[in-house]
Amino acid sequence: MQSDDITWSIINKSFCSFKIQTKSQKFCRNEFNLTGLCSRSSCPLANTQYATVREEKGVIYLYMRTAERAFFPAKQWEKVKLSRNFVKALQQIDENLIFWKKYFRQKCRQRLLKITQYLTRMRKIKLGRQKKLVPIQRKVDLRIKRREEKALVAARIDNAIEKQLLQRLKDGTYERIYNFPQEAFNVRIDEEEEESEIEDEEEYEEEKEEEVETDEDVEGELEKEALEDERRDEMDSDDDDDDDDDDDGGDDEDEDSEEEHQFVADFDESDDDLEDAAERMAMSSDGDEYEEEVKGRSIVRRHPVSLRNIKSRGKARLEVEYEMPEDSSKEKVTT
Amino acid sequence: MFSGHQTSAESWGTGRAVARIPRVRGGGTHRSGQGAFGNMCRGGRMFAPTKTWRRWHRKIGVNQKRYAMVSAIAATSSPALVMSKGHMIQEVPEVPLVVSDKVQELSKTKEAVLMLKKHRAWTDVLKVYKSKRFRPGKGKMRNRRRIQRRGPLIIYNKDQGLTRAFRNIPGVDTICVEKLNLLKLAPGGHVGRFCIWTESAFRKLDSLYGTWRKESRRKKNYNLPMPKMTNTDLARILKSEEIQAVLRNPK
Repeated sequence: MQSDDITWSIINKSFCSFKIQTKSQKFCRNEFNLTGLCSRSSCPLANTQYATVREEKGVIYLYMRTAERAFFPAKQWEKVKLSRNFVKALQQIDENLIFWKKYFRQKCRQRLLKITQYLTRMRKIKLGRQKKLVPIQRKVDLRIKRREEKALVAARIDNAIEKQLLQRLKDGTYERIYNFPQEAFNVRIDEEEEESEIEDEEEYEEEKEEEVETDEDVEGELEKEALEDERRDEMDSDDDDDDDDDDDGGDDEDEDSEEEHQFVADFDESDDDLEDAAERMAMSSDGDEYEEEVKGRSIVRRHPVSLRNIKSRGKARLEVEYEMPEDSSKEKVTT
Repeated sequence: MFSGHQTSAESWGTGRAVARIPRVRGGGTHRSGQGAFGNMCRGGRMFAPTKTWRRWHRKIGVNQKRYAMVSAIAATSSPALVMSKGHMIQEVPEVPLVVSDKVQELSKTKEAVLMLKKHRAWTDVLKVYKSKRFRPGKGKMRNRRRIQRRGPLIIYNKDQGLTRAFRNIPGVDTICVEKLNLLKLAPGGHVGRFCIWTESAFRKLDSLYGTWRKESRRKKNYNLPMPKMTNTDLARILKSEEIQAVLRNPK
């Protein structure tokens, strides 16, 4: 109308901010463009009389612009809501664009069709189950897997189960369930505290299958078990003082048998020492002796017998429950 | 005395198993024996060293300059051209945007921002904010580090504080009508910058450039250029009855 041709000659030849050029085609980024291509007849800037069909949030509108309103950008587009009925919408378009160029009528109708099609498709997809594609982050996955394995090892489930079972036994929940020969049972209880608990469990289970006896025997066993525990506790308390001497290398051997019984009682007291023990074990894997720096002087210490014994059995790493005879307070006193 | 020639280097000639490029004389330093003078040598001068006495200026006729100026001003009034340049004028109430003279008296940047927001020109300034980036290439180390878009241009008649109010808003330029600058009206050589005129500035255009009926009062003997076509819609003309009636039928 007014200077459309001039505008087009400038936009086409020189610069248009909406134009995107690819090797085969020119696209128009203008949101009101009817076809999406950059061409003389579909450029919304180069045609003052223009019409489009656009949808906003699922509602389809017909936009029209005339030459009169071309200089008021805020008010230039006239918006007509099209009906949801496709046929009626087509009629509406024809009514509104009645004296317009055939090009606009045709393109608007085509665009309306496309929009309705994709809207129905969107609705269908939403009704059905939508599979959401989630990318696998390989590094994260591997990391989690590794941590799971470590956590499994750290949890030491077997030991926990073991303890639970023994606890239940002591409490008497299995009163009438398992029947054992009495002596074998007692020996078992003794052995369990010497050796690794994993081995115990295996033997334990084997013995279960052996013999069938009366309930009274079982009860008797349990009572004796309880008595023995008390006896052991008394013994443990006596041995505490002996074990706390740092420099007594020779005495350790005498206290061999006594020390070995101490584990259960002292285990509860000092968690810190256990951790230290683990560290020290890790540090000096060679020999029974290790050096320790106490107030500047390095003192050679021998591992407590408990630890030495375990090493000889080749189960160093896992056993953290054995007590460490050293206390930090005691060290200060001696030096 | 340009760089790269501050040596007395001479070629060693043939027979020395080295390339024939002039080499630095003397000894006792790394530099001795190194190639000199060539654009391929390290520390040599560049090919065709650029001179300051290059012909920088071009003589362009006054009329041609005015033609360009006038075309640029006309382009700012076409919303299509302003939009194609990339300015966000989708919500501007009218193009060309003419504002009352009170804008010239603004002194605070806050007031200037408010004025732009009221006239819906602020989206253009926001676009400038978003476009702030570092220049690609060596310009970064040649004092041209940052680049941004151009925003709206405020054209005033009398500066009563306006320049200082709009000074700090990124992308916004201010210019007096009397001294319109083509570099500001058509930055980058592309016409159609978004211009905001004050009322008195807009009125002055007539006296500055004239109308076709009247000559310009300010420029001696100047009138607006005559267009080649009064009605530019060629397609419409060809389809019109007057012309179709005269055309013979296609074979």
